[in-house]
Amino acid sequence: MTLPTTLDEAVAALTAMPAAVPVAGGTDLMAAVNSGQLRPAALVGLGKISEIRGWQYLDGHALLGAGLTHARMGRPDFAALIPALAASARAAGPPHIRNAGTLGGNIASAAPTGDALPVLAALEATLVVAGPGGARREVPVSHLLAGMDLLRPGELIGYVRVPLLHAPQVFLKATGRTGPGRAVASVALVLDPARRGVRCAVGAIAPMPLRPLEAEQWVAQLIDWDNNRAIVPEALSAFGEYVAAACIPDAAPGEDGTVPPLPPAVLHLRRTVAALARRALGRALS
Amino acid sequence: MSNETVTAQAAEAVPEPESVPHGLGVSLPAADARAKTEGTFPYAADLWAEGLLWAAVLRSPHPHARIVSIDTTHAREMPGVRAVVTHEDVPGEPLHGRGTADRPVFASEVVRHHGEPIAAVAADHPDTARMAAAAVIVEYEVLDPVTDPEQAFGAEPLHPDGNLIRHIPLRHGDPDAAGDVVVEGLYRIGRQDPAPIGAEAGLAVPRPDGGVELYLASTDPHGDRDTAAAAFGLEPERVKVVVTGVPGATGDREDRSFQLPLGLLALKTGCPVKLTATREESFLGHGHRHPTLLRYRHHADAEGRLVKVEAQILLDAGAYADTSSDALAAAVAFACGPYVVPHAFIEGWAVRTNNPPSGHVRGEGALQVCAAYEAQMDKLAKKLGVDPADLRMRNVLATGDVLPTGQTVTCPAPVAELLQAVRDFPLPPLPKDTPEDEWLLPGGPEGAGEPGAVRRGVGYGLGMVHMLGAEGADEVSTATVRVQDGVATVLCAAVETGQGFSTLARQIVQETLGVDEVHVVPVDTDQPPAGPGCRGRHTWVSGGAVERAAKMVRTQLLQPLAHKFGMSTELLQITDGKITSYDGVLSTTVTEALDGKELWATAQCRPHPTEPLDEAGQGDAFVGMAFCAIRAVVDVDIEIGSVRVVELAVAQDVGRVLNPAQLAARIEAGVTQGLGAALTENLRTPRGLVRHPDLTGYALPTALDAPDIHIVKLVEERDVVAPFGAKAVSAAPVVTSPAAIASAVRAATGRPVNRLPIRPQAAVVTAT
Repeated sequence: MTLPTTLDEAVAALTAMPAAVPVAGGTDLMAAVNSGQLRPAALVGLGKISEIRGWQYLDGHALLGAGLTHARMGRPDFAALIPALAASARAAGPPHIRNAGTLGGNIASAAPTGDALPVLAALEATLVVAGPGGARREVPVSHLLAGMDLLRPGELIGYVRVPLLHAPQVFLKATGRTGPGRAVASVALVLDPARRGVRCAVGAIAPMPLRPLEAEQWVAQLIDWDNNRAIVPEALSAFGEYVAAACIPDAAPGEDGTVPPLPPAVLHLRRTVAALARRALGRALS
Repeated sequence: MSNETVTAQAAEAVPEPESVPHGLGVSLPAADARAKTEGTFPYAADLWAEGLLWAAVLRSPHPHARIVSIDTTHAREMPGVRAVVTHEDVPGEPLHGRGTADRPVFASEVVRHHGEPIAAVAADHPDTARMAAAAVIVEYEVLDPVTDPEQAFGAEPLHPDGNLIRHIPLRHGDPDAAGDVVVEGLYRIGRQDPAPIGAEAGLAVPRPDGGVELYLASTDPHGDRDTAAAAFGLEPERVKVVVTGVPGATGDREDRSFQLPLGLLALKTGCPVKLTATREESFLGHGHRHPTLLRYRHHADAEGRLVKVEAQILLDAGAYADTSSDALAAAVAFACGPYVVPHAFIEGWAVRTNNPPSGHVRGEGALQVCAAYEAQMDKLAKKLGVDPADLRMRNVLATGDVLPTGQTVTCPAPVAELLQAVRDFPLPPLPKDTPEDEWLLPGGPEGAGEPGAVRRGVGYGLGMVHMLGAEGADEVSTATVRVQDGVATVLCAAVETGQGFSTLARQIVQETLGVDEVHVVPVDTDQPPAGPGCRGRHTWVSGGAVERAAKMVRTQLLQPLAHKFGMSTELLQITDGKITSYDGVLSTTVTEALDGKELWATAQCRPHPTEPLDEAGQGDAFVGMAFCAIRAVVDVDIEIGSVRVVELAVAQDVGRVLNPAQLAARIEAGVTQGLGAALTENLRTPRGLVRHPDLTGYALPTALDAPDIHIVKLVEERDVVAPFGAKAVSAAPVVTSPAAIASAVRAATGRPVNRLPIRPQAAVVTAT
């Protein structure tokens, strides 16, 4: 176990020991280690790297350190900056998990139920990846999650670049219970008034967050951006249905052309996504 | 002289309240509470012995397969491996089981459920043991699993004993009786797991005489010892079970599928062997609540009085019989609930499948039927257009009424009083629909709940359970009490599982002997048996035995004094360590009366006998019954189907309150376990394979899930046949709360809610 104090030292340690595994909050990794499912040859602890534990502003964007904990992101000062990410951080498990778990860890584990992921997808966030020799490259978060552009050996997620939109954002999560639990479905929705756009991502129902692009464009033109962002109420539920149908499509028609009905559990999931998307848009525009 | 003055002054300075409460009826704290809170209390997983080896058990990955061959060569040759055992290494009885011995120690020819043990390894490191277990090569011929209990009747026998474990065709009254109103329903209850906080662990230490000592968190030490001795081919005296700290028990603890391999490995290697189960093994190994399919038809007259109940109850026992026969008896006998039903026709079956074995979990049998008959009562109320609580009130059972088994209820049955108490309790206020109002919406804080989509519902549940083993089981417990130098010691093999028995035993002795300092000795099988800790047995039989033994010691203590003063011992009383006569003439202390002597007494408590249910399901099968009424208030997000239980108001028939704090804790814990069964707890086993055997996938209620629990009334009508008149309290709220919660969700949504746990899609109101 090594404990580097800068990002470049950490990258160097990983490059020197290719079998080493980086660990930040350890909320997923250490559970696997303790249950014997994972026996890493060595660990590179990221907890002492102070440069990635805060954030800074950079031309209309926030550069978030990958070591930001959920607890930190849940606080009001951060919530004023990126409300949806703060909401997802507050929903991400019980307090002891939120105190340890980090933004970078949530992206690196890329669990389908990772609460920050749909928010980052809706924000179209970009990762700043640190590589050997002080190299930095940018990877859109969706490319990493889709497996189009993976981290290379020795690379670490250093920062997450998120646009500051200065507009309402919503994150909603449906779980199976009142206490902390994994998302059954989640919806992140952000408004981009400068570009007159609505961006939405649905989490937990697929291996990666899904973006209903057509639904976003369709609803954006129904919003009266100059008049308090007014919208006809019917459009809210239509948007919910649109998003749900886009993310959970009907089954392919059979040979006789009839569409087989979805199983009840899937239909319920679709209804849940529709309700979440409708509520999210309603709250963002209210 | 000066000494006396000091004492007198001290007595004046400190007015009467004795700082430590004692005796029955007070909230004496548990002796180990502090150690448990601070984390210093040793559990089985903390045990250590010099030179110990670590065990691992190889379990079947298939729910149903024929074993073609088992090759342990590679595993044996691994460095650090000390022994590998399979079915060939079982020297004694190859089969074991509570009730019916139908379960192999290790599978030999067939595996009948996912997780069945096949081999076990002892090695010098836990990782080596696991790797060696994985290196045992087992060739399987995978067979089609029978996972639907309805298919079990027609399927090829899964076991030489056949697939039907028990059938009870209960017939009571006139089959042609018919009511003006008929309601029908089909209900499904899921597989709840006891999911104890501490997973199973144990240590086996070989003895020089060729025997073995097993250190286990057992709740039935003598039963486990006898099973182990039979499997090891040893006399019971050469196997000793020492009970360690029990980390939570709501069913049977310490699954035998690992304690038998543990003992075999210790005997084979001659070294101490330890095993700590992972959470996954824990889920695979121990028994679950019986998944149940129930079909009901209720007949009632126009006023809503029940005329006839017809029901079919199918219990999925899993691969082995275990205690399924008892669960079935409870399910059939209580199929109509605490209601007067003149005509009842109940068919009950418990069948074998390739699902994980079901076993004893608090309120088995009774929980499943309670959810179903209460759903039927709601249906009937809806059909008749009457208030569901009114309908229940018209039918409640009372002392002197007859159960469908033909047994007359002789114990207190204050069901009407319980129901009235929860009805009268004020409803929780509706939250104001404002952003400032901190309203915990369904889905929890930061969830998706929206006040506009939330509907509130109020529902009722009435439940009953039986206490002690039924149908002729010899329920007996033995206890010994010793007094020396004013300190009393209790020896009783009743295991403290968290139910509070050891605290109760201290209170009983304090009450009877007037001695403040009472110690309860740790349990092992060198003590006389006290039986398993289930169905509220220990409060009754072990508590009764402790009381008798304490009374015998009291008589021994007072006899010489009474004789000396020419009065009977009944005229002497002991309080706060002082013996006084009724007229105040005699006054001495217990220590003085003991005069350096050591007094011992051993006594047994054996309640009145019961009889098995006959071929028509008739018979006086139960020693006693306890009743509970719960009113549930729920909030349901009718678009997403998320349910939050806002409040549960509980009224319970307890006989007598022996320890108020402990009693309240038991009811709250029971209600919360029922909440889990109602909303989230279901171990899914598609095609016989256990899915998500972990505490992430298997959602136990957390503090946020638990509602406000109000114990609105404890009816203290003493049961004359029970020691102290007290009834068992843990199981009745477990049984009743799922039914009450389902009833409230029904009221909120208008949906039938015929499945437990309640799935979100069942609580959604789709726009029409």
